[in-house]
Amino acid sequence: MTLPVLICDDSLLARKQVRKSLPEFFDADILTAGNGVEALAILRSQEIGLVFLDLTMPELDGIGVLEAIKQEGMDCFVIVISADIQPEMQKRVTELGALAFIHKPVNPEKLVVILKQYGLI
Amino acid sequence: MSKVFSEEQRDCLQELINVAMGLASDKLARFLNTFVHLQVPAIELVSSAQIPAEFETRYSSTDSALVSQGFLGNDGLRGEAIVLYQLENAHRIAALLGYETDSISELEMLTDISSILTTTFLNGLATQIDNSLSYSAPRVLSSRQGNVAQALLETAYHWELALKVDISYQLIDHSFNCDMLLLIPGEAVVNIQQILTRILEEY
Repeated sequence: MTLPVLICDDSLLARKQVRKSLPEFFDADILTAGNGVEALAILRSQEIGLVFLDLTMPELDGIGVLEAIKQEGMDCFVIVISADIQPEMQKRVTELGALAFIHKPVNPEKLVVILKQYGLI
Repeated sequence: MSKVFSEEQRDCLQELINVAMGLASDKLARFLNTFVHLQVPAIELVSSAQIPAEFETRYSSTDSALVSQGFLGNDGLRGEAIVLYQLENAHRIAALLGYETDSISELEMLTDISSILTTTFLNGLATQIDNSLSYSAPRVLSSRQGNVAQALLETAYHWELALKVDISYQLIDHSFNCDMLLLIPGEAVVNIQQILTRILEEY
């Protein structure tokens, strides 16, 4: 079954890196957002199964997106992919319900391990 | 910079810098044992001749310090990293770290922080472009010992271009600003464009 996936990052390069890191056999319908506001607009208007979320973004950052997802009880998995790798930040996003925290630049092998771990592939 | 790089190249350079800055912030947070609010650093490529005038106002009116460190990598990658501080800012960090406030340990502290910022940042940048760097010993100058603006002028004179990276760190109870400048030779622009094009072609 095709999984609706959202890649949210203000950097075009970062969005491409995530897309390219996904395994070829991963059956996904991929949407993109350039900041947290755009991401929430998409999340509120359609079913998204998995979100790849950057943290440091203009308009609304990744923490703001995670808070809204939690508050509004949206049913989606979130994997944070961030350049802000401080342990306290990792703890904060996990507390807000993120499944996993991946350091930028994204490592494809690591991503596959996480996707397998949560039965997404 | 918009004239030198395409929008895609600029985005690529910004992302490489964001990742490198994330590494430097993590190192700084561990060093200071606090949490650092990371902001996207504004970057701009300018002629190095513009640099002294641009920073003179900010750093000549108050006590300030300059730390410079040369770097050298493969494929002719080379330059000089400069970190500029207002000493007032540096003192807040010194207090956090428990450094004595005499001028010797102040210089020592500035060297430590600069080394975290520049070497962690530059190593992070180099890894992403499959390069590796070596560094010269840092040179520190405080306005109590000499003229910072003059030292900046003399250093900038040796190079043609400067990649300005505005760093603004917000710690939990403190704010701390400094400027980082990467002085690079004129021909580096072509190298940077090639590197960015290569990365963009991979994705």
